[in-house]
Amino acid sequence: MIYRTNEYLGYPDRISVPAGEAVRFQLSSKRPSVKVEVLRLRCGDVDSNGPGFKYEVMTSPIDGEHACLDQPIRPGSNAVIDHDGALVPTGGHWCFGTYVYPTRIADNAKAVMGNWCERSARGYALELDEEGHLVLVLGQVSGTPARFALDVKLRPRVWAFVSCALDLAGGSVSVSLIVPADGVRPVAAYSKSFALPQAPALDSGLPFLIAAHHANGDRQYTSHFDGKIEAPRVFSCPLSAEALRVFDGRLRTGAGDAGLVAFWDFANGISSLSIKDVSPNGLHGSLRQLPRRGVTGFQWSGSVHDWRLSPQEYAAIHFHSDDIYDCEWQTTCTLDVPAHWRSGVYALRLTSGGDNPDRDCESYVTFFVTPGKASRRADLVVVASIATYLAYANSALRLYQVHFETLMEHVLWLPQDDVFMQENPEIGQSTYDCHVDGSGRAYSSWLRPILNMRPRGYWFNLINDTHILDWLEEKGIAYDLITDVELDREGARALAPYRVMMTPTHPEYYSFNMMNAIMAYQNAGGRQISMGGNAFYWRCGFHPAAPAALEVRRGMAGTRTWESEPGEVHLAGTGEPGSLWRHSGFAPQKLVGVGFSAMINDTCGYYLRTAESEDPRVAFIFEGTGRHEKFGDFGFRYNGAVGSEIDRYDLELGTPPHALRIATSEGLGAGALPTPEEFRTVVDGLDGTQNALVRADMVFFETAHGGAVFATGSITYGMSLGHNNYDNNISTITLNVVNRFLDPRPFVMPAKT
Amino acid sequence: MDHTSDPGALRYVIDPGRLDLVKEFRASPLGAHSPELRKLLARMRWGKPEGRLVLIVLEPGKAWRLSRIPKRRGDPMPFVDDRVFTSLVEAEWHVFKLRWQEMTGTTLPAEISGDL
Repeated sequence: MIYRTNEYLGYPDRISVPAGEAVRFQLSSKRPSVKVEVLRLRCGDVDSNGPGFKYEVMTSPIDGEHACLDQPIRPGSNAVIDHDGALVPTGGHWCFGTYVYPTRIADNAKAVMGNWCERSARGYALELDEEGHLVLVLGQVSGTPARFALDVKLRPRVWAFVSCALDLAGGSVSVSLIVPADGVRPVAAYSKSFALPQAPALDSGLPFLIAAHHANGDRQYTSHFDGKIEAPRVFSCPLSAEALRVFDGRLRTGAGDAGLVAFWDFANGISSLSIKDVSPNGLHGSLRQLPRRGVTGFQWSGSVHDWRLSPQEYAAIHFHSDDIYDCEWQTTCTLDVPAHWRSGVYALRLTSGGDNPDRDCESYVTFFVTPGKASRRADLVVVASIATYLAYANSALRLYQVHFETLMEHVLWLPQDDVFMQENPEIGQSTYDCHVDGSGRAYSSWLRPILNMRPRGYWFNLINDTHILDWLEEKGIAYDLITDVELDREGARALAPYRVMMTPTHPEYYSFNMMNAIMAYQNAGGRQISMGGNAFYWRCGFHPAAPAALEVRRGMAGTRTWESEPGEVHLAGTGEPGSLWRHSGFAPQKLVGVGFSAMINDTCGYYLRTAESEDPRVAFIFEGTGRHEKFGDFGFRYNGAVGSEIDRYDLELGTPPHALRIATSEGLGAGALPTPEEFRTVVDGLDGTQNALVRADMVFFETAHGGAVFATGSITYGMSLGHNNYDNNISTITLNVVNRFLDPRPFVMPAKT
Repeated sequence: MDHTSDPGALRYVIDPGRLDLVKEFRASPLGAHSPELRKLLARMRWGKPEGRLVLIVLEPGKAWRLSRIPKRRGDPMPFVDDRVFTSLVEAEWHVFKLRWQEMTGTTLPAEISGDL
């Protein structure tokens, strides 16, 4: 059957919910009702060539049909300032302006600042038209709005100061553009005067906006600006465009600035969603849909790269017409998760219901149930990689990357969710994708439908991870499930109840708290089984003021699909540097013994044991297997346990000196290529057939207080576990590790390290 | 611009006379290939996404159908024809033939242009 997977869309208000607590679901459909069931997933992979789609249908209070609204997604970020009329021009003069750095001029008008309302055609605003002309829009009591445009166009990615001056008593208006000198180009200034309409209607009765117009009076917005805006200001006195421009907002104590109505200093509160007016009027505002702060402004000197060191150089906000943090849908149903439910990966199954349901209409909303306060804990916990799921959420790489087919080495296979994303881009893409203006997406949130984090969706990450859960269930190993969001919010406390923790196929994105929580756990005697590859790679963070959003700054290294703009590597939310953990002195090797080495784009490989594997310290791992057999020369989907993305041992990068490299990869081909931070000059000899560093290593080491770490160094390892009805050498050694790690007998670090 | 983002970055010119490479590909569309064939395939697969032939997964592991990436985000994405592929190898070969025709302006001889 060919399933329609997007007839229903939805998202939870919280991505993980402890048993015994409530989670709200926001659903949308063009159909008037939806049938809801709750599934606990064992294997979420619908591919019939794998272990099979396995789940338990739970009995829940929300089972059954619910009325469903058709809820739109309205992307686009902007600032909103409530002003009680203080920002409506009155009296004689009204001057306002701002620095702008447009990044996309096309399609439709881009609002800069004002209170203009499209529906009522009241208010005033500066905007750029679809060709880049600066336009002042004014409402009139009767007739069509007045539009006063400059003849010259702004250029994309060039800083300019745009302004206008209304002389309400004199009946004139001027619109001005100043383009400060840059490079070999001298300063340029343009201005044009017009007669004011007889009866302007400048009060829309609505808040003042930056980077959008009001679509109507219902707090819906339109004409979102793509680009940076810095230091918008309003005066109620006559000022030349240049005088308005050079006002820097630095108020001196005891000295008033005559006529100053508002000056929004975006350097203030960069890690917040508030914008501060430094004028005596206190016309503060708030940001919606998470535009990017901590971006270089007009005043950026290039001498600092960290906004915390010189916020005034980062006094801009980068708005996007396709920013989306929160769809703000109405709640359809609330699930009080029964206290006795097991932790795990759960999903709402959404179908058409009724007497005659459409059997091909089936959609899912995934959420994660964690142990409740009173839950009895298992000894082993799996930590789901929410940060990674978010980083890849609604990835459109297959749709829009120039090199992606060459990378994959086959015609791209697009799930129908990709078609949906192409046709409905408002859903928002992943941190691998670029905004419509070409700048990389720094944010991804769970307060929107995520198509590739659910059954019947693209398998990378979540669905692959469920192969490990399926194996644990098959082997009868009791486990709890928590997520890395708990590591981020609760630190090492989240892991403390467990003797063993397991990270699944691809825990690529890790925050400061998440990394330190694991290290503290290891040092306290915890045992970690790192089942995946490309693990603990990007330094990222959840935004403190927008806690459902992951923030990623790519920096200028690593396997990346976009690059940070110069000076924009630090996260706006936390201030810490983004980019790779390796470049923050905490390479993955330091945490689990192996770190990213290569991507496998063609044939997957397998492992062979090393001489070090004969050390009695690791004899328990290989019990029941042969000394010279190939480990994992099989596997579902990838056909090998060494594949997709692989990690290697490296003492210089932090692998503990006593770690044993017990197996290493074989069989990699010319499509195995190193990650860019692994080579400093491009030379022949870098691919998997030639270069010994293009490999996966399996490692083991003991930690303080009786703990230990086992790492596989490969994403595809988990998809080999189920081969031959779970009877294979990858399954055997994994079970050996799990059993020994669950055994409370302490591991002992070797005497000489 | 960078190397992997420039749609015109690959220099390789496909030689319409290299039917040996076509035969090599046809023998194993998803297998390991010679260095010269890898160059040819990289050239075929490179370029701006707009207009690129892609396979839409109708049923995972079972059925696929051809479409193209549209020009603009938000545009509809219809199928290009009625053919449903039940083999990825067959689909890979089919797309290779379409691209060969498009990029060389030549039609492959009948003895090597049929389905697998």
